[in-house]
Amino acid sequence: MEAIVNEIYTNVVEGHNKVVITKVQAALDAGVAAPVILNEGLIPAMTEVGRLFEEGEYFVPEMLIAARAMQSGLAILKPHLIESDIKSIGKVVIGTVKGDLHDIGKNLVAMMLEGAGFEVIDLGTDVTPEKFVDATRDKSAHIVALSALLTTTMQSMTATIQALQNAGLREQVKVMIGGAPITQEYANMIGADGFATDASRAVATAKALVLQ
Amino acid sequence: MKHRERVLAALNNETPDRCPMQVSFTPEFAQRLRQDMNLASDKLHNPHGGGNTYELERALGEDLLLTSVGWANSYYQDVADYLDEWGIGWHSVEYTTPYGVGRYTEFSHHPLAEDDAINTYQPPDPNRPELYQEAEWVLRTFKDEYWIVGVTVTTMFECAWALRGYERMLTDLALKPELAEQLLDIPYQYHLTAAKKLTQMGVDMIWIGDDVGAQNTMLISPKMWRKFLKPRMANFIAELKSINPQLKVAYHSDGNIYPIIPDLIEIGLDILNPIQPASMDPTQLKRDFGDHLCFWGSIDEQHTLPFGTPADVKAEVLTRLETLGKNGGLILGPTHHVQLDTPIQNFWAMINTITDTPYSGS
Repeated sequence: MEAIVNEIYTNVVEGHNKVVITKVQAALDAGVAAPVILNEGLIPAMTEVGRLFEEGEYFVPEMLIAARAMQSGLAILKPHLIESDIKSIGKVVIGTVKGDLHDIGKNLVAMMLEGAGFEVIDLGTDVTPEKFVDATRDKSAHIVALSALLTTTMQSMTATIQALQNAGLREQVKVMIGGAPITQEYANMIGADGFATDASRAVATAKALVLQ
Repeated sequence: MKHRERVLAALNNETPDRCPMQVSFTPEFAQRLRQDMNLASDKLHNPHGGGNTYELERALGEDLLLTSVGWANSYYQDVADYLDEWGIGWHSVEYTTPYGVGRYTEFSHHPLAEDDAINTYQPPDPNRPELYQEAEWVLRTFKDEYWIVGVTVTTMFECAWALRGYERMLTDLALKPELAEQLLDIPYQYHLTAAKKLTQMGVDMIWIGDDVGAQNTMLISPKMWRKFLKPRMANFIAELKSINPQLKVAYHSDGNIYPIIPDLIEIGLDILNPIQPASMDPTQLKRDFGDHLCFWGSIDEQHTLPFGTPADVKAEVLTRLETLGKNGGLILGPTHHVQLDTPIQNFWAMINTITDTPYSGS
């Protein structure tokens, strides 16, 4: 691996936003190909961040600052990746469901998915079933990811899955869900395809769903 | 047995006639309950958007009465968007349940979002006499009978993140530690002043709180908690107990905070709330910490109360009495306000099982 790509990796893991910006630009200026920076720097760095989270070494603040450093690097790379015709490994429409404004869990999942090579379309919070349907159709999404913190709002997940069904989209899109009160049992009950307990494990779930 | 005697016995790890109980509800559930019990409307008093009234609590046979001073009273002030006295903006959002439509108030504006805003920020004054009028009335009217709790939850971290913005506050802890310290000091000073005043007035217990647990792990690392929050909490508790050594201090954090419980015991905490059973195993908590700590809450508001059957609720209450409440040391109640999605039969299963089950041997 190029030394500068290694430095990008280390600085993403440690959440040094400004250093990542400088190093990514420097790597591009030195002629390192954008896909190399992505696939050997940014994505492995976020995989390591996920591992550190699962091991209990990283918590939400460390994950947030690493993800932001990754996003800064990715923003610089994006025009070059488009030039190189690099495709994402899948498109994910994500949002916190109707009635619920809690977004940190959803934001962490979105950032971790982006850091794993997915294209993420973030619809924000209090998202109606209709908005999920429209975005799924307009973006030809592979996955719809639904978040809820509350027992009173997690019931909007059922309404969203039903709306996808009614729109004739359910067969072409996988639905994954998460949030504090959500369990695998609940996912099975409402007919979701995947569930994860946290942002790191959501990446594995999403990867498994696009491979199905 | 008087309500306050029941609580005191439990907190002394003795078995009272039955387990003491404290229950709160969202305003929408409280409305349903008032209709079910044929009670007139009364003034709401509970923090964090709670729908409790003293009339309702007393009619249910609750043993603790709460009176709150602080930022947590900013929840649910209006249906329309509003700014509270801290300059924090709020927005109301509706949700739908099988039992009707409810709403939560959530943050929409953070006055200290910009780094330099803290230099000119003026927090509200915690010394205004009118803030303590309710506490004075509650103490005068009910202290002979009930265990009175002065509430200053959202003590530092939660109020600081409302002032600053949640993700911004979390990243400040990692990237801007000096600013994070300044931010935490604002609500810390306010709520310490309020808690000292309530202690001087004669409350039996002060309830502090800051959510530092996520569902399965801590939100921030134990190391970060020990750096930013533990010293302030230690001083908070010490100052209160220097006013009244008999005062009990309870602390609320949602989620899993297992790694810092020994630290909480070390700094003088008496009672831990709310013990979410999906996040921390109540039996293990009792085994590991029951000699040094009492517990409050523990009836599952994420699964059993909204989605279980009355038999499930009854079984959970009985299990808690045999585990977390073995030999006292427990105040039973839901792990959060009872929500509108809860079947009323489940609610009554909880209340009736608590009030009808004597401690064995009592």
